Amino acid sequence: MASTFSTPASTALFRRLTWEGTVPLEIRVDPNQLPANSDRGLECYYVQAPRVSYLPLLVPEIKRFLLDVVFDVAAAKTIKEEEWWFETDDQVLMKWHWSIGLLYDYHTVTTSMKSAKRPEGQQFPLRLILHLAAPPTDKLLIAPSIEACKQAFMGQLKEADFLRWGNTKRMTGLRGAEQDGIWEGIKDHNFEEYWKIASKITPTTTPARPNSPPPASVSMHSRPSSTDQSGAPDKDGAYNVRSVPIRIYLPNGPVLQDLAPPSLESGTLNTLGKFLSTLLPLLFPANQRALACPLIQGVVCPLDAEIAWLGACMAGADGWVNVMIGIL
Amino acid sequence: MALSPPTLPDAHRSASPGLALGDGKPQINPEAAAALESYNTRDTVKIIVRFKAVGNAPIMRQNFYKITASNRFQTVIHFLRKELGWKAGEPLFTYINLAFSPAPDDTVSNLFKSFQTDGHLIVNYSTTAAWG
Repeated sequence: MASTFSTPASTALFRRLTWEGTVPLEIRVDPNQLPANSDRGLECYYVQAPRVSYLPLLVPEIKRFLLDVVFDVAAAKTIKEEEWWFETDDQVLMKWHWSIGLLYDYHTVTTSMKSAKRPEGQQFPLRLILHLAAPPTDKLLIAPSIEACKQAFMGQLKEADFLRWGNTKRMTGLRGAEQDGIWEGIKDHNFEEYWKIASKITPTTTPARPNSPPPASVSMHSRPSSTDQSGAPDKDGAYNVRSVPIRIYLPNGPVLQDLAPPSLESGTLNTLGKFLSTLLPLLFPANQRALACPLIQGVVCPLDAEIAWLGACMAGADGWVNVMIGIL
Repeated sequence: MALSPPTLPDAHRSASPGLALGDGKPQINPEAAAALESYNTRDTVKIIVRFKAVGNAPIMRQNFYKITASNRFQTVIHFLRKELGWKAGEPLFTYINLAFSPAPDDTVSNLFKSFQTDGHLIVNYSTTAAWG
């Protein structure tokens, strides 16, 4: 991702691409829990779900489907969606506070370790079993409600804000209605609605970017000004954060999080490759061929991608860049 | 010991790396498998967690605890409840550095690496939602 990509237009493009990303889900009701007189054979719901959405937000439409197509009137009265929960075919529990894209990608890298037969370029549905009762509340960690999911989402935004700047002024500076507005953008899956407010808290890239020394010390007056009228250094920019909010997911393994500064002490920009070499040297040995590759939003990410750019353009809606590690 | 170079993915296959290539059998590079194994080992390092009461929350006699790094924050919350002698229904809100409430599956290790101050992780607790 060279500096030619760090324009406002390309930033907006990648943010739009990330936002519009969807993954296929196949949701099948646990056959042992289907109420009597259900229309068996139809109890499967297919949806191309937004990556930035969450399972609790899908529950209402799944419920409508089941009421319309599968359950009879008597069964409809017994529905308690607060007892619903999802797991994959191989008993992996789907957490309410992980975005759908994250659940899908984690499943992809984890299962690719087990089987080898996968045609190129096809996206297979994530097959989920919907249980209607007896949720393992301890493992689900948060309540199944949309409100609890919203709180978890806002918490992630705040954690990202704090990681970037050492304070949460940008988040707490939003009015209550604005904070609600970000979540409404997710619920409505509306790009403009979400970014109208998210742009106030998400650092962006600048039109022209210096290579070295670190951006903060370079005079910005020589840049052609386009959107930045003030001419002041872009102290709120993606390359000036303390740390990029980024998490690394190992297949069947831990989630790793560590400080990820946009620039290194030498003054060069920190790249995904350099960051992974520091964090996972056995898989990404410096100056040698990597044994694994990083996937972000379901696509392979070049190791020379600047992590500051990733933070500005390829993060999830909760502010975090989620990197899956696939073994080559 | 000489290591044979990893198999170069050919042009078609490079479109979907992360997927073990081959004739229907999982073929994970043994070096990579060993690396994953080492990264999967539970981190037994103890992190110093400092609990700080906020508002009307009771102050504990002991505020510093050593908690295993691999523990999730959920475990820290349970531990705090136990130390305070509070039951599950009673409201307890927890924050890092008075700033945000972590996801219950954020690990102590990750939170420490990102947010530690003076060698410990500050966990604020209160009976009411403050920085929610």
